[in-house]
Amino acid sequence: MNDAAAKLLGAGLAMGLGAIGPGVGLGILIGKALEAIARQPEVSGDVRTNMFIGIGVTEAVALYAFVVALILIFVA
Amino acid sequence: MKGKRLVWLLVGLAAVAALAFIPGARKESFAVAGEFNLEPIVKLPKLGPFDLSINKAVIYLWLATAIIVVVAIVISRSLEVKPSRFQYAVEALYELARDGIVGSVMKSGKATWFPYVGAVFVFVLVNNLIGLLPLPFGEHHQPSFYAATANLFVTVTLALFTFVFTHYAGIRKNGALRYVKNWAPPTAPPVLKQIIFVIHVVSEVFRLISLSVRLFANMLAGHAILGVFFAMALIFQSYLAAAMLQGGSVLIYLFEIFVAVIQAFIFAILSAVYIGGALDQDH
Repeated sequence: MNDAAAKLLGAGLAMGLGAIGPGVGLGILIGKALEAIARQPEVSGDVRTNMFIGIGVTEAVALYAFVVALILIFVA
Repeated sequence: MKGKRLVWLLVGLAAVAALAFIPGARKESFAVAGEFNLEPIVKLPKLGPFDLSINKAVIYLWLATAIIVVVAIVISRSLEVKPSRFQYAVEALYELARDGIVGSVMKSGKATWFPYVGAVFVFVLVNNLIGLLPLPFGEHHQPSFYAATANLFVTVTLALFTFVFTHYAGIRKNGALRYVKNWAPPTAPPVLKQIIFVIHVVSEVFRLISLSVRLFANMLAGHAILGVFFAMALIFQSYLAAAMLQGGSVLIYLFEIFVAVIQAFIFAILSAVYIGGALDQDH
């Protein structure tokens, strides 16, 4: 395996494996938020705001993997 | 009524099937990564280590600023008690920034910090949204997509504003010594206190990185996916694939509009959370 192939393989693996955790996390996060809204519709505004904060923080993990993949392809 | 719909469906399917028999377009290469290269449009001399040349990103930033300034001036000159549609839209944006972002996460200092958080929200929002318009700044003045927020330097600058303002707000309200002391809970045992303090310092730096990289990577990924969808028609060399991919790219496009709004919202709300946390230190 030459260097270029190893880089591309590494980038693909980084993105694919890095997306697993945030995917599961976002599923749990949004599911729980919907559960809370269904139980108490009157607090839906608060729950939604906090849900978006959580989404932002969780999703950043997948985007770190994306940046690592880009660095592997274009910089390394 | 139902028969008519069936006829249109069959015509559509036949048209799509006919596309498959047209031979492929002439071969053209298209590199998605090249869309993010920044070539200077107006070359200017270097000032020390800073290259002041005007490139695509600078023009997009100016464009966003101009849009915001013009809309703000036009709206504030023609305020009516019974709002027009345009005024209603701007008021809804203002209300979202005031009540939805600042009002819901900050305890004190709402009036002081609303101008910054609201400005950052509108600036990032407009920058993200004009990134979805094809503007003639590509190679040889072809229409192309670019967002200034898909540039790491722009987002780092925005994140640095939040970073500096966070500590400025905390130091001005609590005093420098008390502010830094409060980074570790005063009731914790001394050894644990030092560890927590180090963790807090590291997390402050990571806030800066995550705030900037999140916006940058989201916009870059969105534009890269759109570019790949457009480029795949050239790769497959078939009109059938092209038609299906154009349909897909419309869906991605709708999703990107959603992402542009959500990312602006998240950037502003996290700025408000960080500044609010420095003002009211709960431990």
